[in-house]
Order: sequence, then structure tokens, then C-alpha cells
Amino acid sequence: MIYFDSAATTFQKPPEVAAAMWDALASMSSPGRGGYPAAVRAADMSFQCRSELAELFGLSNPEQVVFTLNATHALNLAIKSLVPPGGRAVISGYEHNAVTRPLAALRARVEIAAGPLFQPEAVLSAFERLIVPGVDAVICSHVSNVFGFVQPIEEIASLCRSRKVPLIVDASQSAGVLPLDMKALGAAFIGMPGHKGLYGPQGTGVLLCGEGVPVRTLLEGGTGSLSIQQEMPEFLPDRLEAGTHNVPGIAGLLAGVRYVKRRGLEKILDRERRLTHQAAEGLSRIPGVKVYALPGLPHQAGVLSLTAEGADVESLGMALAERGVAARAGVHCAPLAHRTAGTLDSGTLRLSFSDFNKKEEISRLFPVIWGALENRR
Amino acid sequence: MEHYLILARSVTYAQRMQKALGRTGIRSQIFRAPRDLTDLGCAYAVKLTAGDLSAALTVLHKDGLDPVQIFLYQRGLYREVSP
Repeated sequence: MIYFDSAATTFQKPPEVAAAMWDALASMSSPGRGGYPAAVRAADMSFQCRSELAELFGLSNPEQVVFTLNATHALNLAIKSLVPPGGRAVISGYEHNAVTRPLAALRARVEIAAGPLFQPEAVLSAFERLIVPGVDAVICSHVSNVFGFVQPIEEIASLCRSRKVPLIVDASQSAGVLPLDMKALGAAFIGMPGHKGLYGPQGTGVLLCGEGVPVRTLLEGGTGSLSIQQEMPEFLPDRLEAGTHNVPGIAGLLAGVRYVKRRGLEKILDRERRLTHQAAEGLSRIPGVKVYALPGLPHQAGVLSLTAEGADVESLGMALAERGVAARAGVHCAPLAHRTAGTLDSGTLRLSFSDFNKKEEISRLFPVIWGALENRR
Repeated sequence: MEHYLILARSVTYAQRMQKALGRTGIRSQIFRAPRDLTDLGCAYAVKLTAGDLSAALTVLHKDGLDPVQIFLYQRGLYREVSP
């Protein structure tokens, strides 16, 4: 199988991820739940993972690193901490349902700072107009999960700081690929999955919490601390981590984070961008194919969307699957992004790359797409 | 044997204390706090040898890691002491 669906989950992981998970299953119990060796090992490994994540994302205090089930869980915690029912939020035009659905559930008043694809200045201008006193939070994805558009997060963060409006960053597509510094951004929260660019297993996610930012619980339960008290502890990470931790998952995530640190963000980004460039170039030569990329790929990471004249994207995705290529078709749980880009009616076929893809795989993709399109015309 | 227990609000906080102390060469161990030392249930503590308390408190204070409570273990009993 040629796997081009890393924006959903990186399927190829460094081998040490599975080894770490196996070791955790064999030797660790629950962190913070005992003083015996298996509990201590679990606590030590979890603390190490928090510490290395804190270092990677510019936090000095590992207590501000909260383990979650996935990015959706992290973003729900962040959004529901800052936006009260009926509150006000400003979001980009490229947000995922992980942002828009919690806001809909809160019946929040949402304003959309939309700009055309790959035009960061337009996006920034839209935010500039909408970030005003009274806004409870600004929420922005760093990289669009549909188009790979890298939004101007540093500039948006600066705007939020100057206007004293808290910022939530959805780093689902950028964590492990682009540099992100929580302290420099001054963000209230950054949410991310563990199972994409950080190469951890599914079922892992991370919420980075700004110092002193109020946090609301989604779940209440055991934390291994202040057990007689019936309210959740006020301090992090315990306040947001009720129940038993996903210890094998956290062990796998730690191995994935170490892989990213060893490889270096620059090398990973460079590989993904070269693959995206190669794919965009080749695909744009196929008659009827529209590739969503600008020449030279300014402001784009390793995600590429396309449509094909006269071909339904879901059928195209199925045809690729039959030929051994894994790619995602449809709306990618991001109808807002499609609406902004004008692709809501058709959806797109999305190709997304990881550090484990090779240029030979991209070369093999072209005849497969040619063939799939020929059969449907 | 005589030692001090520095109570931490959580296992992660105790781990931060241990890491900070380790950086300055002060050896410590993380322990589950004895039940009768805590009114609110499960807690963790950092165990220090008696001679290290003063240096340890300086390091912890510098890192913003102030202890919840400090206990001295002497002749089979724990007694709270002020920092």
C-alpha cells in the first residue's frame, strides 16, 4: 500500500513506537496511583513525555502539558474553558469540525475571518477586523487539514496579545512539522493529536495550557491526588486528566516525539514539502485535474487537495484504494474550509505526506490517477 | 533514619521537585505520602536526607516549587516543621 493519508493519521511509525508500547504494556501500570515499581515506571515515563513535549513546544513547566485522547478532545477542553454558552468566538475560514461543532454546541456567536487560499495577508486582515473587545477567544488552525494552507499564526497571535483576546491554536497538522513556541505565541492553549506528525499511536493527544489560564473540566473522576476532596483539583495536569491514563499510548508518543526531535523539524518539513511539490507538479499535468496549490507552494505544508473534471472524488478515492493507494476523499470533516475555498459541493481528493513517504511513491501515483480517471470518463 | 518529607500537590509536581533538586546534585526520592500526613487523601512527597533540607528549599523556592508541607521523621514519628 502507498499511504498518502497522514493528515488523518501517520500510518507508518518509527519502529521504536511499537517497541515502547509493548514495553509499557509489559512493565508499567498507572502513573500517580502507587509507590510500587510498575506505577513508578509509568509515572517516570509520563513525566518524561510531558517534559520532552514541553521542551519541543517552548513551555518551561511540564505540568502545563495535558494528555488527551486526541486533538478533538484537547480542542473541546480549550474551547469550553474560554467560550461560555452563547459567548463570542472568531475563527479562521479553515477550521475543522473539532472547532466548529463545540462552538455550535455552545450556541456561540461565531465570526469567520476568512481569506482566500494561500493568501495569509488576507486572512490576517480579516482577523484584524474581527478581533475586538468582548470576543471570548480566537481559534485558528495553524495548517488547514484540507489544503495544507499555513496560516499566519505568529501574526494572529501578536494581534491577540495586543488586543488581549485569548488564542487557541489547532496544531493538528503542524505539530511535529512546523516550529511552534507556546511562550513566544502567548497562546492560551495549543491542541494537537499525538498520532499525526508526532508519530505516536491513535488515542493520544496533547493540550498545552498557558500559565494561569482558567481551565474547565469535561470529565471528573480519580486523579490520584486530593482523593478525599470531591471537587477536581485546581492544578494541572490533574484537573484535566480524570481516570486511568493511556500508558502504552503515552509511551508510544514519547518514542514518536523523540523521533521528531532526532530527525529535526526542518528535515521533516523539507521532505514533506518536496513530496508535495512533486505531486502538485505531476498532477497538474493530467488533463482535467485541478490541484489546489500555488507554484512553488508558498504557505503550504505537506497536504494537497485536488479535484478532477467529470469525476466524483469519492469514486476516485475508491479507485485509488483498489489500486493500492490510500488517500482521503470528501469533505475531511471540514465543511467550513471547503466553503471558504469554494469546494464544498465537490469535496476534494486529499493527498497528505509524512516523513516516511518516498518520491518513488509519488511517481507511482500519477499513472494510477491517469488510469482511474480514464476508466471513469 | 532521620529524614524530611516535602509534600507535593501531585505526582507531577513531586517529579518537578525531584528534577530541580537533581540538577543541583541534591538526591531525593519520590514517595507516596503516609496517610496521616494528608487531610485530603492521596499525595506524593519528596524524601530528603536531613542535611539537605535548607539547600533543597532554596533550590525549590528559586524554581517556584514551594512545598505544601514539610515533615521531619524522627524516632519513628513525623512532625510538621516550618520551611
